[in-house]
Amino acid sequence: MTQDRPDAAELLDALAEFLYADVRGWAPREKRFQVLVAANLCAVVARQLRAGEEPLRSDLALFGELLGTELEVPAGDELPAAVRRAERRLAEEIRRGAFDARLDQLIAGLRQHVRRKLDVARPGYADE
Amino acid sequence: MGDSEEGALRAGVADVLAERGRAGDVELVRIPGGASRETWLVEAGGERLVLRRDPPGSESLVPQEGEARLIRLAGEHGVPAPEILHFEPADRRFGTAGILMEHVAGESVAPRLLRKPGFERARANLPAQLGEALAKIHAIPVGETGLEEPAGEPVGSAIEEWERMLDQISEPLPAVEAGLRWLRANPPPPTRTALVHGDFRLGNFIVGGDGLQAVIDWELAHLGDPVEDIGWLCIRSWRFGNDDLPVAGVGALEPFLDAYVRAGGSPPEPERLRFWEVFGNLKWAVICARQAHDHLSGVRRSHELASLGRRICEPEWDMLELIGVDA
Repeated sequence: MTQDRPDAAELLDALAEFLYADVRGWAPREKRFQVLVAANLCAVVARQLRAGEEPLRSDLALFGELLGTELEVPAGDELPAAVRRAERRLAEEIRRGAFDARLDQLIAGLRQHVRRKLDVARPGYADE
Repeated sequence: MGDSEEGALRAGVADVLAERGRAGDVELVRIPGGASRETWLVEAGGERLVLRRDPPGSESLVPQEGEARLIRLAGEHGVPAPEILHFEPADRRFGTAGILMEHVAGESVAPRLLRKPGFERARANLPAQLGEALAKIHAIPVGETGLEEPAGEPVGSAIEEWERMLDQISEPLPAVEAGLRWLRANPPPPTRTALVHGDFRLGNFIVGGDGLQAVIDWELAHLGDPVEDIGWLCIRSWRFGNDDLPVAGVGALEPFLDAYVRAGGSPPEPERLRFWEVFGNLKWAVICARQAHDHLSGVRRSHELASLGRRICEPEWDMLELIGVDA
């Protein structure tokens, strides 16, 4: 990292504040909802940056456990693609009926996965 | 859309109105929103009308002609619905196929209905009014609808349809896949077939100070299990933050179901209702994924559509919660 502050998440905070506290006030009425959506997207990305790799590692471990295999945890840039590959494999196995006999166990695991998505996209939703 | 195309549409609407003895200037204003239909506000001779037509270049899955017939039929059976003035087939005066209908005054935008002062009485009246309207929809004899009975086993066909919708965008969503397996394993027993509105939720109701004025957006209407409409109405996403009020974010289930039964509807068994709530959440998750995909693939670039990709997890969570509840 060779950039000066503000860091990426802090820049998004600034953008979200501007959209929410300023633009929303003077945007035409029919565009205000879209301004709110934009502000919210900035907040989502800022949360994702702050969460770092931890949710990806947890998901990879969970998918490997459900699939019954040890999945290699690649470093850095390779990690998101590896998680997506595992997610696709799991989705295909579920569709094929591989979990029909233990749907409860699958659903308990997927609750953790979906909760991690909500922590970034909509904090608090799972606890309301 | 270019000025000339809009001019042609204006002339076409004026011509249709003149034919009905209502000559005069016509003004058109495009109303934003509506993914699969264009909506125009029409001002003609001091009167307000609404034009809904297929977007140029795309043909709708549900033909507009069938939709016009259903809205008329619903009105005849006492369902509050807009009065249909005219249906125009494709490649004629409206360009694409379109329906000209009476404008119903009121509000349909969900957050405004739920939070704005002036709608207190409407909110109090809505649960019972929605129950009554839905019972009347479900009481319409299916033979009069012109719709075909689903081929094969209806619940299985509905699940397959949404598997296909997901496969078309090839998005890996394990929670949705788990939901699909649960639906397959827990189908409700067969029931009578009814006209299902298909999108009976806040956002598709025009509401005035006293409550429900019209049920709109009939494009997803089909024949099926009537409880599908109740499950869809009650999913958390359509409560718009009023999480403890299952009926459209305005009321409890009891007054809604009381009115539904009083108006001739059969009370839904709790397990059947749960099945259709799970189904509704799953459907909404897939729709969110498809909308985000429309942005990603360039069909329609929009940050609003993009944002829906990050909302898939909301109905996924609600679906897993519903499945987790022991029957």
